[in-house]
Amino acid sequence: MTQEKVLLDHGSGGKVSHSMFSDLILPLFSSPELLQQDDGAVLDIAGARLAFSTDSYVVDPIFFPGGNIGDLAVNGTVNDIAMCGAVPKFISVGLILEEGFPVEDLKIILESMARAAQKAGVRIVTGDTKVVPRGKADKIFINTSGIGVIPPHVQVSGANAEPGDAVILSGTLADHGITVLSTREGLKFDSDIQTDSAPLNGMAQAILNSGCRVHVLRDPTRGGLGTTLNEIAAQSGVEILIDEACLPIRGPVRGTCELLGFDPLYIANEGKLVAFVPQADAQKVLEIIQDNEYGKEAAVIGRVSRKSPGKVFLKTFIGGTRLVDMLTGEQLPRIC
Amino acid sequence: MTMKYVEEYRDPGLAKGLAEKIHGISKKKLRLMEVCGTHTMSIFRHGIRSVLPPGITLLSGPGCPVCVTAQKDIDAFVEFARLKNVIVTTFGDLIRVPGSGSSLGREKAEGADVRIVYSIFDAVTIAGENRDKEVVFCGVGFETTIPTIAAGILMARQAKLDNFSVYSANKLTPPALAALMETKGVDINGFILPGHVSVITGTNAYRATFEKYGIPSVISGFEPIDILKAVLLLVEQNEEGRPALVNAYSRAVSDEGNLKAKAVMNQVFEVCDAVWRGIGGIPFSGMGLKKEFQAFDAALKFGMDLPHVPEPRGCACGQILMGLKTPEQCSLYKKKCTPMTPVGPCMVSSEGSCAAFYKYA
Repeated sequence: MTQEKVLLDHGSGGKVSHSMFSDLILPLFSSPELLQQDDGAVLDIAGARLAFSTDSYVVDPIFFPGGNIGDLAVNGTVNDIAMCGAVPKFISVGLILEEGFPVEDLKIILESMARAAQKAGVRIVTGDTKVVPRGKADKIFINTSGIGVIPPHVQVSGANAEPGDAVILSGTLADHGITVLSTREGLKFDSDIQTDSAPLNGMAQAILNSGCRVHVLRDPTRGGLGTTLNEIAAQSGVEILIDEACLPIRGPVRGTCELLGFDPLYIANEGKLVAFVPQADAQKVLEIIQDNEYGKEAAVIGRVSRKSPGKVFLKTFIGGTRLVDMLTGEQLPRIC
Repeated sequence: MTMKYVEEYRDPGLAKGLAEKIHGISKKKLRLMEVCGTHTMSIFRHGIRSVLPPGITLLSGPGCPVCVTAQKDIDAFVEFARLKNVIVTTFGDLIRVPGSGSSLGREKAEGADVRIVYSIFDAVTIAGENRDKEVVFCGVGFETTIPTIAAGILMARQAKLDNFSVYSANKLTPPALAALMETKGVDINGFILPGHVSVITGTNAYRATFEKYGIPSVISGFEPIDILKAVLLLVEQNEEGRPALVNAYSRAVSDEGNLKAKAVMNQVFEVCDAVWRGIGGIPFSGMGLKKEFQAFDAALKFGMDLPHVPEPRGCACGQILMGLKTPEQCSLYKKKCTPMTPVGPCMVSSEGSCAAFYKYA
């Protein structure tokens, strides 16, 4: 932390966020669970293994095509717990509301949270509401935390990727980030992009209960697939090579990225997972994902080796190879 | 939005064929410069270097507008942000670029009203919505961007917005190429000329420079097939000793360019001298507001005339932009200068060569 003020980059999920986590937060809160740096903490309590995770939602705008801040907040925490290999059970909801926020909008958001919880099969069991003076918060912020139970046979972690693993992505990239961005900026495109926000616990459980060996499950949210793969490569000490031609990306999303100079590898997803499984199990796991309503466009996108530990590479459309580094800070639209 | 005319230019079979042709005819060691930052990005993103023969070196030129913006201009943007009652509007690339003491991003964190816009027209709209405040637009761009900045100023004049102004650090491409050729030690065997800029300028804008220096020059689009084709043409010209000025982006570029855009640009702006970061002053390479539009000149309006500031010690951005050094040859690269702690703008802009090397190489 060489800079004295918090910058927006500190919230990007990329390198700048990581440096704040490792230089400022981790030393002060050091606990073995936090050190694991997975999507949630895995806790041994009275003979049971529980996954515990929290996330705050400050998305602007709060309503966007395909969803709103409410279902996003439920699905996000459900997914973080599911990526620990757990069956999500209970969710807490903390609301921070700005004075003057329309109750009508709040009702719409709460209703979609209730629907999302029902769909994911979790119960909202505790919560808190605070109101701050006008201008002290932006409409509504939501924090959700959740608890899930990890079945005895499940052993997944970002540190478990092994050479020879296939990397499977459950669907198209960058839908959420591009939807929010184009709604926020009023970019009018002749397209039907919408958020991919969805609960992935059903898909995760189908994979984990299939009898296939599963080493890593992770949802590439903030920071995008590029950042998530870098985290896994570092945690597991392996090289990951992905193939650009295999990456599913919708045409309008790709077009918007081209126009603004964004790399879809670094754009947020809210309803996608990556699974690392031994090559021998890859086809079966792929079929299981494709059978799920949120995994129709799943694809095997890469493989793991021991060549350059900690690095991620991309084989490009034209057969070249390049490094996929971790995102630094927020991607900034280019001039020309 | 559909991606017609893009997939065709990323076809693996075509790319393989072009790469094989280049390998087949390439004998000489060649240093080819892609002038435009968007080319640099595309070359790295598509892994084009990795499919070329080892004897061909691609150098990034002075074609990333953020990278060639003088330190004093960045300082001016920061000063505007510090003024009370001023909204600074800017393209996103400039937010992190460090001036002598601060950046627009820092000032924003301190409470300054700095807003990222995607077009100058958004800045004009902001001015219309905030008549009690001054709105300054940071004008940083080449021929691609300058006509829209001119159109924005015309729009502001039409709407009688006396609270809107532009700080023009705009620059022209052909004079920079000529200056590069005159610089001692510069060793370049061919130019990959910028596609977007050429859409506006037309092929003819490069003719004088080509005729004077006889350097192989190919105007190229930005897809991998475009760039491989341009490299092939430059290698052919070099191997056969027949330099030429070729427009290989004829689906977008004409000889005359976009006459309407040029007319709008020349209605509002006139050619002036400009300081390029790392390169220095280049005569007739800038675009300043004409006298009749001086009411929209932020530098005049606010008396913003900062002294020239030397670039940070050790920063080799200037030599890198002229192809005299590669980012790896800069003593600060990956040590003091990283995307998280950039010293020079080549590390900040997504199209800067140092950022591209750091991110992709």
